[in-house]
Amino acid sequence: MSTLNVSNITDGTTTVGTSYVVNGSAKAWMNLNGSGAIGLRDSVNTSSVSDRGTGLYTQSFTSNMANSNYAGSGSAQDTDGDDDGRNRLQVTNAANASSAYVNTFDTGGSADDVAYVTSIIHGDLA
Amino acid sequence: MMHLWDRLAEAKSRLEPVQSKYRVLFEDPEDMESPAKVLVPDPNWMACALEGNILPPIDTYQRDRDVPDGEPKEHPYAEPIGAMTEEEAIEYLVQKDIPPHIWRDYRGNRIILKIVPVELVPSDRSFRNAWKINQTEMEMAA
Repeated sequence: MSTLNVSNITDGTTTVGTSYVVNGSAKAWMNLNGSGAIGLRDSVNTSSVSDRGTGLYTQSFTSNMANSNYAGSGSAQDTDGDDDGRNRLQVTNAANASSAYVNTFDTGGSADDVAYVTSIIHGDLA
Repeated sequence: MMHLWDRLAEAKSRLEPVQSKYRVLFEDPEDMESPAKVLVPDPNWMACALEGNILPPIDTYQRDRDVPDGEPKEHPYAEPIGAMTEEEAIEYLVQKDIPPHIWRDYRGNRIILKIVPVELVPSDRSFRNAWKINQTEMEMAA
């Protein structure tokens, strides 16, 4: 692999510092089937996911974050084609620098197993 | 030495994901009221483990646990280890992603950790919050 060592990136009109790209890139993400026998559909920088009970998951990182002050986001929907199933709630927050809690809920606020769970992590890598 | 994240990104572009045939069941002796947990290996991570020369030694993660947040960590730039078998990779993952008080320090009689074939994990999630590891059979009991 080759390395470009540059301070800025430009398309000829707009120039941005490479720090915008580095800092703005997701450092980890996953797409999880959180129902039935759970499984990961795809991911980046995720070593495993642990099912801790109904609607409760832990995403572990391969390359850990620098600290616990990273940001988590994502989405949850219960079915692929039914509008009514798309209104689930998802929360990703830091457990520590090496893993994040990912929890999913129904619209009443009760923990709920959800078939389509995504989790995205932004922040600084260790 | 490339940063571990860069090695993972490069590996994802060339390696096919590998779905593991194993799952790890575990209970937390510090919270026996909570249900049994199921650890699922990531397919991209498993591909890296089987390929070799991507992942750092497991002891670098263990030493980094004691390093305060924000301080430099060892594992991102550690010399990668060679290829593992799937069984070795699962043992590595147990030590990396499950707290040491479960896989290392527990001295009780109850079986609180099992590595099982994926078929033995129930897909029916009825009574999920009451799942416990069956103490006599190689299967999960609700």
